[in-house]
Amino acid sequence: MIFEERQIEKNNFSSRVIILFALMGLGFVAALIQIFLLQVSSYSDYEIAALKNKNYIIPIQSLRGEIFDRNGRYIVRNEPTFDLITRPDSIKNIDSFLDQIEPVIFLSESEKFLYLKLFKDKAFANKELVLKKDLTEVEIARFNVRSHAFENAFIDKRYRRVTDYPKIFSHVLGYTSRSKSPYKLLSNIPISHWKDGELIYANGFIEGKTGLEETYNSQLIGKPGQRVYEVNARGRLVKSLEYRPSQNGSSLKTYLDIEAQMSAAKFLGSRRGAVVAIDLSSGGINVLYSSPSYSINKLSNGLSVDELQNLINDENKPFFNRALQGRYPPASTIKPAIAMFGLANKLVDWDFQIKDPGFFTLPEDGRVYRGWKKGGHGIVNLRKALLVSSNTYFFSLAYQADINELALHLSNLGFGKDVCKDCFDEDQAFVPTPEWKYKKINTAWFKGDTVNLGVGQGYFVATPIQLANYASILANKGKGFELSLVMNSEERYMPKIWQNNEYNELDWKRMHQALTDVIESDFGTARSIRDLKTFSVAGKSGTAELVGLDSKEAYKDLRDTELLRDHSIIVVFGPMPNPKYAVSVVIENGESGGAVAGPVAIEVLKSLINNE
Amino acid sequence: MSKLSKIFFDPYLFFSIFLISFLGLFFLYSASNGDTSIVLKQFIFVVLGLILMLLVSQPDPDLFRRYALLFLIFSFLLLGATILFGPEINGAKRWVRIGSFSIQSSEFLKLALPVFLASFLHSKRLPIQPKEVIISLLIIGTAFIVIAKQPDLGTGLIVALSGLFVLFLSGLSWGFMGGSLALLIISSPFLWNVLLQPFQRQRIATFFGIDSDPLGAGWNIIQSKIAIGSGGLFGKGFGEGSQTQLNFLPETETDFIFSVIGEEFGFFGVLLLLSIYLFILMRCFYLSLNARDRFCRLVIGGISLTFAANLIISLCMVVGLLPVVGMPLPFISKGGSALLSLFLAFGIITSMGTHKKFLPQ
Repeated sequence: MIFEERQIEKNNFSSRVIILFALMGLGFVAALIQIFLLQVSSYSDYEIAALKNKNYIIPIQSLRGEIFDRNGRYIVRNEPTFDLITRPDSIKNIDSFLDQIEPVIFLSESEKFLYLKLFKDKAFANKELVLKKDLTEVEIARFNVRSHAFENAFIDKRYRRVTDYPKIFSHVLGYTSRSKSPYKLLSNIPISHWKDGELIYANGFIEGKTGLEETYNSQLIGKPGQRVYEVNARGRLVKSLEYRPSQNGSSLKTYLDIEAQMSAAKFLGSRRGAVVAIDLSSGGINVLYSSPSYSINKLSNGLSVDELQNLINDENKPFFNRALQGRYPPASTIKPAIAMFGLANKLVDWDFQIKDPGFFTLPEDGRVYRGWKKGGHGIVNLRKALLVSSNTYFFSLAYQADINELALHLSNLGFGKDVCKDCFDEDQAFVPTPEWKYKKINTAWFKGDTVNLGVGQGYFVATPIQLANYASILANKGKGFELSLVMNSEERYMPKIWQNNEYNELDWKRMHQALTDVIESDFGTARSIRDLKTFSVAGKSGTAELVGLDSKEAYKDLRDTELLRDHSIIVVFGPMPNPKYAVSVVIENGESGGAVAGPVAIEVLKSLINNE
Repeated sequence: MSKLSKIFFDPYLFFSIFLISFLGLFFLYSASNGDTSIVLKQFIFVVLGLILMLLVSQPDPDLFRRYALLFLIFSFLLLGATILFGPEINGAKRWVRIGSFSIQSSEFLKLALPVFLASFLHSKRLPIQPKEVIISLLIIGTAFIVIAKQPDLGTGLIVALSGLFVLFLSGLSWGFMGGSLALLIISSPFLWNVLLQPFQRQRIATFFGIDSDPLGAGWNIIQSKIAIGSGGLFGKGFGEGSQTQLNFLPETETDFIFSVIGEEFGFFGVLLLLSIYLFILMRCFYLSLNARDRFCRLVIGGISLTFAANLIISLCMVVGLLPVVGMPLPFISKGGSALLSLFLAFGIITSMGTHKKFLPQ
């Protein structure tokens, strides 16, 4: 090549090499800008993303609050049990490990199956795995002696939720069981991490399902803590980075009284029924018992399928909470309320008398409404009508009443409404009105329906807690509280007063006297319980008819079928003249109110007074 | 000065390469979670490589020119042997065993091809003739297809680029380039379906957001960006990168070693590293402009631009600007063949850049 040509070639090369190097420079700058964007502009985003990758947060279960009675005695507590826990990642040969441990600790086939199923996953991520729950003392001792041989297993404490009175408080306490959505407690922990949570309870993350355990779940449950692990890309825990302890749940102090609840259970025995007792100074519920009951411990800590099926199929319906959901006609126990209505509306006064022939004839159609005593009670005034429970008197009183006004009056006394602030799944039952009857059974309201209401029969139904609430209003002379199970110092509930200007202190005094005489006088229908106690008690018994019959003779045939027998009902309060407690008792198919339900009410009252 | 006592040596290139390859050992230690056997092996290759570079710098460029064809044929034979006898690793045949060493045969072609094309084109008159261009393109195309089918798309592209750079530098006409670019675009669907393996198509699709699957093919890129981004200005410290040490980052010793550096040494660490690379490239640029003849210029230009392309593609890949095709970071990623080939390349560049021809005036 000649010189000029070489020079042209050289220039050509130079310009081309500059173009290419400049192109490379552009690429280089592009990469540099991208690196700057990543590391400087978006640093915080990527820092968070890197933390999310490596940090594995798990929840730590909190200890549930305990539940106490009004005297500070445990109703529900957390009982420690001991579980055998293993570290699968340090177990090299699973079969020889099981061979080694089986002579020390008995393992059932299902325990082994469950363990082997979870073993691989847990070993991979070096997490702990429970081999056997609830070790016996013998097993703990046997293991501890040989613990040096098992470096990859240890015993740890796990709690169970138990009560020492499992069959007595079952309905009111309710049960706890494994929560379906525990992750709602701590939203910063991904749902998938909850399976690795550190547990305090043997049966996992639990929550209240019924009763107080459910109503106060958010208070009892406390706040889970959390532990942050560093985790590698394969999910293996590398080390613990951060630990935030859990906060124990707060305990509940209730108005419940263990002794009184026990006597309710004892005196009801195996009969179907309910007892509710109320502290008149606060509206606190001292007793809330439904019979028959079941073991709450078993329900909370594992019940076999057979046992559960037996409970569900039991014809006495043990799961049914009669105290809150049982609907019973109040029968004669409603008469004081009808009397209050008559007095307030000037339909009667204390001196107003009628002649009781033993029946009431409805003027409109001549239909006859019978009393419980053939031949009647003769001349009766209001006091005597309450004492001897004259149906005729209250039939004729109710006959004069405006049904809507009477229904409103009953609803003001808590009938047909929720009366308890913190009871689980309370039934409202109902007070019938013409409107209700038309809607429900598409029939017009008869005057006879009002007459029936006067003796607490017919369509009118109430729950035992409504009856106790009603008794407490009578006892407090018109003052009613919103009932509650749990003492709450922060919120004081002002009592609601049943007000009527026409109804004065003197009326209340006479009402209390009349109701005291129901039990304490020689003529009272509930005098049979007079001698069971040393203090005086006011009350009103009732016998709820399940089948409307015209005579006692007809009922005698009916008695042969137990489930058609009358319900026995009583409401009492005492000690008089300054009552502290009101009690209602309902015994299904128990017949005569005073004689059957009465003794139960008196025993509960006695134990409440003795136990203050 | 006697000819024998003269040692051909470029201190700028030598010391910057020395520096970057020893820094690389340091990075590799962290990237391999402290695996000293990997680092030791790499160290041996670095020392061997530096010696090789010095040795290769000594012969006169004419020697390379004379044996260029032989070298090319040898490289193709090696590649053929790989395809016929090479063990299949992860579905790819890239290695050939010689004694106790495994050699990635395509690495040789990366050098043999530009040196051969420079020797083929350096004496041709400007502008180079279509016949010469077609011969060159046939060789380049064959090399690319053979390597891409291994499959090793990354190396295939680099080898092709090394040839194309020489072709361009030697005076390829602009019109021809425009025409072939158009042809390339038209034939791209064919290339997509025939040349690319399904997993490569997947990677490219992922890159362009056609298939967003954060735990699948896009996972690597996401983790790489998180690693680099979370390094911030100063980095998390040597051995402290959580993405690296807890294995969120894949292929930390090879393709994604830059992400390790970004995570543990931050933006300033990255700037320091890139400035050394930049210095090497600037030096090569200078040498290419001042080389003694056309052959030397083409070789220096072709090889150093290939080096630059390799570096930039590798960077752009891990920072999410290009699809992941599998390209090591020069002088730092683990891998003996790649390292030796780099030292060999810079030995050739040194030889081309330091030998002067004493022309009769």
